[in-house]
Amino acid sequence: MMIDFFIAYRPLFDVFLLHTGYALGQYVVLRSGTFSIANAGLSAIGAYMAASLTLKLGLPVLLSIVLGTVASIMISMLLAWPLARLRGVYQAIATLAFVQVVLSLNIYAESITGGAMGLSGIPKAVGTWTLLGSAAVAVYLVASLNGSRIGRAFDAIRQDEAVAVSLGVAISRYQLLAFALSGALAGYFGTLEAFHVYSLEPNQFGFPFLVAALSYVVLGGRQSVWGPVVGTAVLVALPELSRPLAEYRMLVYGLLLILVINFMPRGIVDTWIDSRKGRRRVLSSVKQEEAKA
Amino acid sequence: MIAQQLLNGLIVGGVYALFAIGFTLVFGIHQILNLAHGAVFMVGAFVALYSVLAGLPLWLGFALGVLAGGLLSVVIEFVAFRRLRKQGEEEFGAIISAIGANLIIITLAQKISDTQILRFPFETFPVVIYEWMGLRVSALQLVMAFFAAALVLFITSYLSRTAPGRQVRATAGNERAAILSGVNPNFVFFQTFFMSGALAAAAGVMVGLAFNNIHFMMGEPFLLRGFVVIILGGLGSIPGALVAGLLLGMIQTLSVAYLPSGLTDTIIFSLLFLILLVRPHGLLGKPEAGLMRGR
Repeated sequence: MMIDFFIAYRPLFDVFLLHTGYALGQYVVLRSGTFSIANAGLSAIGAYMAASLTLKLGLPVLLSIVLGTVASIMISMLLAWPLARLRGVYQAIATLAFVQVVLSLNIYAESITGGAMGLSGIPKAVGTWTLLGSAAVAVYLVASLNGSRIGRAFDAIRQDEAVAVSLGVAISRYQLLAFALSGALAGYFGTLEAFHVYSLEPNQFGFPFLVAALSYVVLGGRQSVWGPVVGTAVLVALPELSRPLAEYRMLVYGLLLILVINFMPRGIVDTWIDSRKGRRRVLSSVKQEEAKA
Repeated sequence: MIAQQLLNGLIVGGVYALFAIGFTLVFGIHQILNLAHGAVFMVGAFVALYSVLAGLPLWLGFALGVLAGGLLSVVIEFVAFRRLRKQGEEEFGAIISAIGANLIIITLAQKISDTQILRFPFETFPVVIYEWMGLRVSALQLVMAFFAAALVLFITSYLSRTAPGRQVRATAGNERAAILSGVNPNFVFFQTFFMSGALAAAAGVMVGLAFNNIHFMMGEPFLLRGFVVIILGGLGSIPGALVAGLLLGMIQTLSVAYLPSGLTDTIIFSLLFLILLVRPHGLLGKPEAGLMRGR
């Protein structure tokens, strides 16, 4: 019974794990106060680099995964430098331009990337367990970062840059770190996707990809590490609940985005955590009142 | 040959300008980056096409398309942005909300058109080609250029010379002060979003007629090029968007004609990235724009 359930939903579970990685990559930059949506391009670089190294040069899968991830980290850190000069929507537009450049080069460089047709016949070397392990490590890494000095620096930068500077937070260094980590997550999970699905196609890493990654974080929440995980779970599982939901999947995504950002702007997880904290605070103050009385 | 390319580029650029002026208008006045602008453009083309298919004359289809675009844009403002504006969440929140509105409109259009590519019936707009000093221009291109110029002129003179236009500009300058002097901000929002949507829809109908290739995703490449135009021109600047639109049209046709095909998008978006790097306020924007604070 349990086994049947697992086999039937295994592909969906795989997608959830991969996308959790993408969501965490997006979450890390947003948390550091940078409105970057470059992750679609970074994942494309990781995925294509790894797949073509193995397909064209015959490198072992593990080495390709490492090289693809390193390439993505380096490009991401290179991006951090110009983006530090920009703010808000300008960062979003600049990173959108980056995603478009990667996408069009991917289509252009046919001998390496397979052009518009993409790459196929990639060996399937990554299974559910690898994905599960990777997602767990990613959540653990990001969670321990959040609890550290670095996470607090991110919060300070995001809430008020001027105050953060006056407190001695080296903004550009922390944002470089956020970009490196975000590039690592985006690139690494990109390479996993390459070795998980047999084939790659350039438009896979275009506008819909970055909308999905943003949606996971917005729906789940931008503060707690569980936000992107829960957001991904909800949006990946939702279309499977019923046929009309699957058919109008994008419409449901759109409605959810508008509703959540308008009525629950902090996302599911953060709102829930806040309401629990709030209740505890109310309870404790009631107790204090009773004690006084 | 090069003169012909430049002329073609100028006409394509006119349509880019028409599209981008509405885009930059809403940003300049309300600091909202309306990512659903491409969807409004597509809806304009759809409404005109279905009107013509239903037997209406083309001019009426065009008018209905423009009206539908304006109204849709007003509805988007009401549904997706109004609440966020009151919470002061324009920047991040509005982008997310606009992506949502975009997804909804595109999915509905996909269902209506059954994911098909639609075309205007043959000779909806008579194919007439004029030759003058070795340059070839079609009647449709002339009409497009005329309409693009007339609409741009109308919007700029509306904003600079009429009382409601002045109210719009006052709100752009300082919203609180404008409200204190008796400007109704909701009416200002109605006007800017209606104008912005109507311009996008007009561009949509023209592109639909010129390329005769109407489908639910047709707005996306225009939205992406719209970013290039509004940044190159200076975010929020209408004359900037006009100049940048014409420039982009020419850069694009020249690049298609003389550079390896397939690199056009790479060039255009590298250019966008480069402008943001060296001159984020573009050609005619306010200098402090790129370093604007706030999240």
